[in-house]
Amino acid sequence: MAEVIASSSPSPVSVRAIPRSDADRHEARAAWMLAAPAILLTFLFIILPVCAVVTLGFTDFELGYSGFRFVGFENYAELLNDRTFKQSLWNTFIYAAIVAPVSIFLALGLAMLIEAEGIGRSFFRTAYFLPVASLIVAMATVWQYLFHPSIGPINALLALVGIEGPNWLGASSTVLYSLALIGIWQTVGFNLVLFLAGLTAIPRDLYSAAEVDGARSAWDRFRLVTWPMLGPTTLFVTTISVINAVKVFETVKTLTEGGPNKASEVLLFTIYQEGFVYLRVGYASAMTVVFLLILIVLMFVQYRIQDRQVHYT
Amino acid sequence: MKHFTKLLATAAVAVTTAFPAFADTTLTVHYPMPGFFKDVMDTISKKFMEENPDITIQFANPSATYEEGIQTIMRQAGTSEMPDLTFIGLNRLRMADERGIPVDMGPLIQNDQNSMAEQGFSDTILKLAQVNGKQVGLAFATSNPIMYYNADLVKQAGGNPDNPPKTWDEVIALGAKIKALGNGVDSIDFRWQGDDWMFSALLFGAGGTMLNEDESEVTFNGPEGQKAMEIIDRMVKEAGMPVFTKPAGEQAFVAGKVGFAFQTTGALRNTIKNVGEKFDLRTAEIPLIDPENGKLPTGGNAVVILTKDEAKQDAAWKFAKFAAGPYGASVVVPGTGYVPNNELAAKSPEYLGDFYKENPLFQAGLKQMPRMIPWYAFPGANGVRVTQAIVDNTSRVVDQSATPQEALDDAASEVKRLLPRK
Repeated sequence: MAEVIASSSPSPVSVRAIPRSDADRHEARAAWMLAAPAILLTFLFIILPVCAVVTLGFTDFELGYSGFRFVGFENYAELLNDRTFKQSLWNTFIYAAIVAPVSIFLALGLAMLIEAEGIGRSFFRTAYFLPVASLIVAMATVWQYLFHPSIGPINALLALVGIEGPNWLGASSTVLYSLALIGIWQTVGFNLVLFLAGLTAIPRDLYSAAEVDGARSAWDRFRLVTWPMLGPTTLFVTTISVINAVKVFETVKTLTEGGPNKASEVLLFTIYQEGFVYLRVGYASAMTVVFLLILIVLMFVQYRIQDRQVHYT
Repeated sequence: MKHFTKLLATAAVAVTTAFPAFADTTLTVHYPMPGFFKDVMDTISKKFMEENPDITIQFANPSATYEEGIQTIMRQAGTSEMPDLTFIGLNRLRMADERGIPVDMGPLIQNDQNSMAEQGFSDTILKLAQVNGKQVGLAFATSNPIMYYNADLVKQAGGNPDNPPKTWDEVIALGAKIKALGNGVDSIDFRWQGDDWMFSALLFGAGGTMLNEDESEVTFNGPEGQKAMEIIDRMVKEAGMPVFTKPAGEQAFVAGKVGFAFQTTGALRNTIKNVGEKFDLRTAEIPLIDPENGKLPTGGNAVVILTKDEAKQDAAWKFAKFAAGPYGASVVVPGTGYVPNNELAAKSPEYLGDFYKENPLFQAGLKQMPRMIPWYAFPGANGVRVTQAIVDNTSRVVDQSATPQEALDDAASEVKRLLPRK
């Protein structure tokens, strides 16, 4: 993965060279032809739908009615006063603020532990990767059983040591944290594998060199070698984790339906409700635009901040 | 993935239409919830084709839920992909009608006056699938809310399982005793999540209504609504009802850890299957706040004709009548637990008369049939969203973050805002 990001750094190949000779022109034409399928598909499946969503966001289109009217910024004005939307923005923020950092640092710690251990490395790698490979909707039902307030194993275990377990998914005070727990469980494995790949790419002699230069403690070696060398990986992992956390939907839909009383209402679920249950496609499109903007801003800020500190090898 | 299955479905439809069957008319039928209805639909269509060799039934790809079903129909409405018949949730008929999707069955019934009564379509039953007096469909699978109880727990708590509670006071008192048994046992699972159906059961049971006659005023926060919400509050305060999510409540009940469950009779067959031999499962009529005039909301779906093609409409009407008629009901009832939407089917031994004698668990829903009134669908573009406002505020009572009065007042003011201005 580190290589993927490395290749996005400025490269000496210039695509904007102005063709001067016949050969150049020929080459340019060939390049366009080779790129054409990708450009066409990007246009069809990414640019066009985004344009459609942006356009629909300015209409009052409802599924089932034939026509629609342009309403300008009315949908966006409604969003400002929509209690559900505000709640769902806030819940998504809390969820992402828990899931992204915890799953990143937990994965980093585990990756270093596994990397340091010779035996059973592939076993642990597979074990931690299993949640990523499993179907989250099916696993959600398993979690729903584990979290069950009266017959669930987690609360049964807690009862053994004399603690009365919370009503994980049922109470509005705990539901978001329970969902975050499932989210972490789901993401750690993926992040772990990425970090493992990043760790193996660090040349061993750097550690020896650091030791010679006086980095005696493990913490010093981590701070001076591992962390900077993992820079590109960390940037990628952070990006993916944040996007995934903001995109949480399946667990909410299968386990809580946004309840109780909107305590687990998250952005994608709200969009789904508006668009597909209440059938207000125009309004849901406006929400989607806001959702996309949030993702874009997040990515932009992240790259700006982290890119300065990342050293590509 | 979804697109892929859709593609497959359209490909399948294209193939079948490319090779015309030998029958004169081919009807495409779409239905939701294959988990409940697939076997039922297969049986009914097979029998129908035997009796009507000139009509062929083919099924469009079924949708997982009522919501997905109606979305599919709305996307396909007016295109060549639109099926000829579909089954729509009773509380979504109004929304479909506001968008001009169903064919008015009024004239078709008019032409068929005599045989309709003969086939067990009474006026009460026809009313279930009417929107503002317009017949938009025929009720196909209908349900009402009943009381499920765990006879073992009732016995342990000192109750008599052969004489189940008849009033909410008795339910709450016995529930408290069941809760007191300890060992992780809970008293009541009241299915308030998901939609406003179970709140309607309490409200209609007290003789209340959601809105007034001309739909200009909210009335569910009146005295009947207050009584309804107070019952929920007392279930929590006096009987210790926990905040269950929908699946959690279901699991706990079939695991034998809950005394009473209040939900649709449509879930009966599945509940029987899931409980197995774990405990003695019984059912009874749901208590009513007003035992005299109390009513109950009707859940389920109706068969709706979509095709505007007149030749096809005749065939579609035949199928609709057949599916909603006595034979259809005699397939749906034992297969699911829904109550017969047809009076002939319920009484005649040729259809279900004997079934009810042999399966007493199914009788609770049957006995409540005279109380069934339509599941109220709110008017206007926000009709569906209104139900969510009621669910959210009910949940505040269940988790005790609001008093019944506060919750009702908040729900009423939210609903007022969402209703169309008159």
